[in-house]
Amino acid sequence: MRTTLPRVLALAAVTSLGLAACSGSGDSAGDAPSTAEEEIVIGSTNEPTGMQRNVGGSSGISQTMTRNVYEGLTSIDVDGEIIPTLAESWEISEDGLTYTFDLRDDVTFHDGTPFTADDAVWSLSEVISEESVAARKSDLIVMDQITAVDEGTLEVVLSRPSRSLLFNLAGVTIVKDGDTENTADNGTGPYRFVEWAQGDYLTIERNDDYWGEPAANPGVTFQFFTDTTAMNNALATGALDLVIAEDSPDQLTQFEDNPDFTISEGTSTTKYLWAFNDGEAPFDDVRVRQGLYRAIDRDAILDAVWAGRGQVIGSMVPPTDPWYTDLSDVHAYDPDSARALLAEAGVEDLTITLDYVAGDTEATIAQLLQSNLADVGVTLELNPIDDATWYQRIYTDHDFETTLMGHVNPRDIFWYANPDFYWGYDSAEFQELVAASEAAGSDEEQADLLRQANELMAQDAASAWLYLEPQIRVAAAGVTGFPVDQATESFYVADITRES
Amino acid sequence: MLRYLALRLAVLLASLVLASLVIFVILRLLPGDSAGTSLGVGTTAEQLETLRRQLGTDQPVLVQYQQWVTGLLGGDAGTSFVSRQPVGELIADRLPITLPLSLGAFVLAVLVSVPVGVLAAVRRNSPVGVAVSALSQLGVAVPVFWVGVLLIGIFALGAGWLPPGGFPRAGWGDPVAAVEALVLPVVTVAIAMASVMVRYVRSATLDVLGQDYIRTARSLGYSRTQALARHGLRNGAVPVVAVLGIELATSLLGAVVVEAVFALPGLGSLLLSSVLGRDLPVVQTVVLAITAVVLLVNLGVDVLQRWIDPRLRTSAVLERA
Repeated sequence: MRTTLPRVLALAAVTSLGLAACSGSGDSAGDAPSTAEEEIVIGSTNEPTGMQRNVGGSSGISQTMTRNVYEGLTSIDVDGEIIPTLAESWEISEDGLTYTFDLRDDVTFHDGTPFTADDAVWSLSEVISEESVAARKSDLIVMDQITAVDEGTLEVVLSRPSRSLLFNLAGVTIVKDGDTENTADNGTGPYRFVEWAQGDYLTIERNDDYWGEPAANPGVTFQFFTDTTAMNNALATGALDLVIAEDSPDQLTQFEDNPDFTISEGTSTTKYLWAFNDGEAPFDDVRVRQGLYRAIDRDAILDAVWAGRGQVIGSMVPPTDPWYTDLSDVHAYDPDSARALLAEAGVEDLTITLDYVAGDTEATIAQLLQSNLADVGVTLELNPIDDATWYQRIYTDHDFETTLMGHVNPRDIFWYANPDFYWGYDSAEFQELVAASEAAGSDEEQADLLRQANELMAQDAASAWLYLEPQIRVAAAGVTGFPVDQATESFYVADITRES
Repeated sequence: MLRYLALRLAVLLASLVLASLVIFVILRLLPGDSAGTSLGVGTTAEQLETLRRQLGTDQPVLVQYQQWVTGLLGGDAGTSFVSRQPVGELIADRLPITLPLSLGAFVLAVLVSVPVGVLAAVRRNSPVGVAVSALSQLGVAVPVFWVGVLLIGIFALGAGWLPPGGFPRAGWGDPVAAVEALVLPVVTVAIAMASVMVRYVRSATLDVLGQDYIRTARSLGYSRTQALARHGLRNGAVPVVAVLGIELATSLLGAVVVEAVFALPGLGSLLLSSVLGRDLPVVQTVVLAITAVVLLVNLGVDVLQRWIDPRLRTSAVLERA
């Protein structure tokens, strides 16, 4: 028989598989002698989709690279405050139109080139260029002239005042003059980029020539998972030091009351909302939106999805945004009032559809919405779809009645000022308040105006905001220094250490 | 035989061209927008247009198809819409996981199912035969991912013998860890495949056992085992080889599910994430590659069957044509 030899080989291979399996189990990460100078391995389900720094869908790139590998003129620190970074300080002209940035003179890129104003001009210009598909382009298009006054001074002239400029600039990372979106991996941050194996991991290592305080650990690997069970298995068996975000309380039971792990709960910026197509009947009637909102028992939803963790919200603003006020009682759960409002609006036997991206959380919410609405005589038809269909039908074509979505960006109240956004909220008063806040003379005035805008939008039930996700991280015992709250997309890792 | 092979290869090529067209067009008919998915919330309609122009998805479908095929013929499968990396590289990076996984599972399944299936046929009325039948029923009925979850629970989380998932960062540069990472996934896929194969091997063997030539061989003084070994295996192999061909192709698909359970960055994971992100250049190339493998395996099966069973060589329609 000619097949004998391959069979013997195959048998040998299988046998050695088995032997290797029995002998090799001792060298998993947890058993190695550990010191503070060891790499930190972080589990995440949020893999970058590409290496383009400024493209919006890729919040994974911001999570891993912003503040770690790339830096902006400003940064948002872990508490949500704007801090000077590559710009040491700045002056704003009386009319709010001219920003003069004094740049740090002790910064070099990872390849050794000194950082100058020309690099800043290039990086800022790229984001607002004709060909740019950057998410922040529409916020930053207000930059009219970007000039290098000298090596250490950058001047930005705006076409109208923008109080959000310093915040928005934190999202624009600075690369070397001429480096494009698709080629750059050369930043100024406390870490250098080492390697990204798509679908697997991304590794960064400490930059010993960093201009600021050097990173407390020698390097970090972000290990990516599509399945949270697999991720938690890896954490439980010592292959990970930290999981950035748990997505359900069920995953936590194995780590609770376990001395080998610590669970931290902070606030996130992820707002789950039931969005209406505000421009279309019957949702163009504010009473319908208010009635539908009051029909919903948000505490029950939060309980079902997060077992009481997280926070019920009544608007788009998370506590880490400066203009937060607790508005969760504006349209509190009240089925009688809901029925009255719907009757007043003259909608009877209402049947509406809910398009939602299929997932465990979404399915739970959808079913609870359905039963809450049935109590007030509204039929909710469920239509699960996938992510790409959501972007096409809902986000781009606005072809929907209601939808569920979790929005992760900080300070995204501004989207309600855009009548062309998918939910189609079009309130002149709201738009004026937001415009005035951009022209505000101080941060306090800006916050005050946006608080008013926030209250107005909540009253209007522009959407039915359900809850703010908790930010739950699980760390192996002895791993400290990671941010507890998630105030922006970035996950700053330079303070993380592991005790031996 | 040569003429037969040439004809079959021509048919295979024609099938591939047709398949490429079907795959390409169907993917374009899917709802969903890769531009929107990769840019995310916050981008404007003009920016979506810009990206479509950059990606070339604003071109007519046939033009896009022609670009893809021309590229393929020149060895360039295009660039991922999402990561902007060359599709060929993305696929090549994943093969060192998926190929050993599929082939390992296939080999293991064959090694287990052939002897066990023959045994179950020979001892069909004994407790061993009944147990094999029952177990293979169970193996067919239980979903693959569930077997994976079970094995992780027992051998990784429970006993701690093997990692619960993932692949070493050094890849095959760390062969021990790489093999360890693949043991449970290989066993998971192999259980599903072996369960199917055992049933075919068993029924093929039963079939053979009832044939006259076995009785003749027995009458010539061979034991039943000797008779089976000399005359039975080759006859029984013809239908079994057909099933093995199908299973080899299935093992590639099994990888999609199993790679997700075991967090393995293989071809299956790539396909899954690319479908979800509507990364069409990646999806179409992976699907076409799998189609090509299936067609090649089918061809291989036919050739193998003709080699095993000379009767097929004279009865083939194509041979006479």
